[in-house]
Amino acid sequence: YTAKGQAIYDVRHLRADDCTCQHPEIVACIYCLFFFIFKSPCYNCGFKGFIPKFVMASNPVMELDIWKGEWGLPSIDVNCLEVMTYAKFSGTHLKTKSTNNPLRTPTGSLPVFQHENECLTKFGEISAYLRKNNHTADFELSPKQCAEAFAYSHLIYEKLAPALQFVWWIDSKNFVEFSRPLYAKLLPFPLNFYYPGQYEKHAKQLMVSLYPEEEDFSVIETAVYRQAEECLSLLATKLGEKEYFFGQSPSSLDAIVFAHLAPLLKAPLPSAALQNHLKACTNLTRFVGRVLQRYFPKELKEQEQKERQQTAKQEAPCSDTDFPNKFRNISIAALVSFIAMIAYATSIGIIQVIISGA
Amino acid sequence: MPSVLLTDSISFELGALEPWPSDVKLYQPYEVEQILLQDQANSLAVQVFLRMCGLDFQVSPTTPTCCKVEMRSNAEHMSPSGKLPFIKCGAFVVADLDPVVSFVANKGINLTDHLDAAQKADMRAYMSLANNILGNAELYISWCDETVLNEVTGPRYGSVYSWPLNTLLTWRKQKQVTKKLTALGWITKTLDEVYEDVDHCCNALSERLGNHLYFFNDRCTELDAVVFGHVFTLLTTPLPDNRLASIVRSYPNLVEACQFLEKTFFQKPTAKTSDDDSDHFD
Repeated sequence: YTAKGQAIYDVRHLRADDCTCQHPEIVACIYCLFFFIFKSPCYNCGFKGFIPKFVMASNPVMELDIWKGEWGLPSIDVNCLEVMTYAKFSGTHLKTKSTNNPLRTPTGSLPVFQHENECLTKFGEISAYLRKNNHTADFELSPKQCAEAFAYSHLIYEKLAPALQFVWWIDSKNFVEFSRPLYAKLLPFPLNFYYPGQYEKHAKQLMVSLYPEEEDFSVIETAVYRQAEECLSLLATKLGEKEYFFGQSPSSLDAIVFAHLAPLLKAPLPSAALQNHLKACTNLTRFVGRVLQRYFPKELKEQEQKERQQTAKQEAPCSDTDFPNKFRNISIAALVSFIAMIAYATSIGIIQVIISGA
Repeated sequence: MPSVLLTDSISFELGALEPWPSDVKLYQPYEVEQILLQDQANSLAVQVFLRMCGLDFQVSPTTPTCCKVEMRSNAEHMSPSGKLPFIKCGAFVVADLDPVVSFVANKGINLTDHLDAAQKADMRAYMSLANNILGNAELYISWCDETVLNEVTGPRYGSVYSWPLNTLLTWRKQKQVTKKLTALGWITKTLDEVYEDVDHCCNALSERLGNHLYFFNDRCTELDAVVFGHVFTLLTTPLPDNRLASIVRSYPNLVEACQFLEKTFFQKPTAKTSDDDSDHFD
């Protein structure tokens, strides 16, 4: 689908005679031709024809393209985390693929949710779709609680999300030492030169639009952080000592809160003012840890293993692991240099080989 | 020139020392010819908030019960942060509802003393919801919908300027608003999706209101002011397509609460000279 949700025009292709699935009839358009290079097999019969990536035969499995995860999280991106957490809470079986490639998406951003010709990117649309298919995390909420969840999600979008954008992309220390290298590592060449700059530009535009009369970013920083700290305090008040925001089982609001707090909490940010404020709200920290432990135990275990390996490596002496074949390399080098010196000496006459002739 | 946001915090410190002066003025664009949806919603919210606190502003000498509001064609440019409306209180100029609430709170007047921490959190969340969805929807409909832009917004915004200034300024403002909505992700929504969001928002507010006239503990708070501003504007502003008004009207408890607030805070016993009462719910 194009960015506005209109169906891509289709392209005619040759069908295998014994293919049993219904490939969509497709007619060529300039937009689709671009995607011709991305061939993918039909899910039903494995036919490898010219099927543009987003117009495929009905996909029975729910798939989600996401950014890869780091630091014990299933994904580094807030939007991907929202969808993945909500899927876990609602018991949906979601197959995730770490494509790390926002170019191959309808709207130019991840995540991309695909199921049976549906291609969705926004959390609201995806959760509505899942609800239609009887997968919901909010079945235990009363209408009043649903209204509260809706209101709190907007509180987060208004006050916390701009601050996260600021911390990730505008704070210069974070951008240069953390975000840009991270995304450059994840993105394939040559996108790693383009996208981090784009994200920074978008973040700056967001700040300028929210504070139109302000030109000095340090003042905007104060205001944005103040709002974010207020939001965190409000969330901490709302959560109190409960396990989840609405009782014993998690809801969509828990998914949104977790998605916004987890990267802020776990990322190794160089300039960490907001992160420290979040760490001071102990019940929110415990909440994030609880969700990770119960719903993403695999990622947590991988992170713990990685940390253990790293500490083990640091304790062992470095030289042995860095150069395993030290002795062999030194002896070969010595032999080669010895032969070279002998050959040179012989050629200029310092050493003369006398063959006693008959 | 000191920045707006720092000035706010300094002024709050100094403002706390003085009592509420008697010559406070509220500035907004011309109500009948110029003002647009979102500005009117915010202006009404601030006016009703100040009346809820019992603070009067600019009582005109001829009709003592009438509260006068100053109207300026360039109110938007007079405002320190670009947001409307703004109040001039002694030596301080404070724009937009949240700073006004903090400013008034610094003087010791608070509408939320009777709320506990959880309720305060709820109130802030619902205020975010109303401002986010209803405010952005008003902006979207005013500036991104072709019919409304050409028939209502354009003429109104440029009515105080001569040609060609009115076309240029309208174009510039439209670019600014479009950029803001793009940054917030609203520009990709269709008109139907915007109406759906407004419906969802009104549903949430209506659920919270229930059968009461106020949102919290039968006493008025900032949330009542914000919702009043938006609901009153949406119900009484004539647009080419009246779907917004009909969406809001389908939640009778919101309409009733709004009518109650209007009667309580804006009804004048003498002849109606204030512009607030020029619109009714008929």
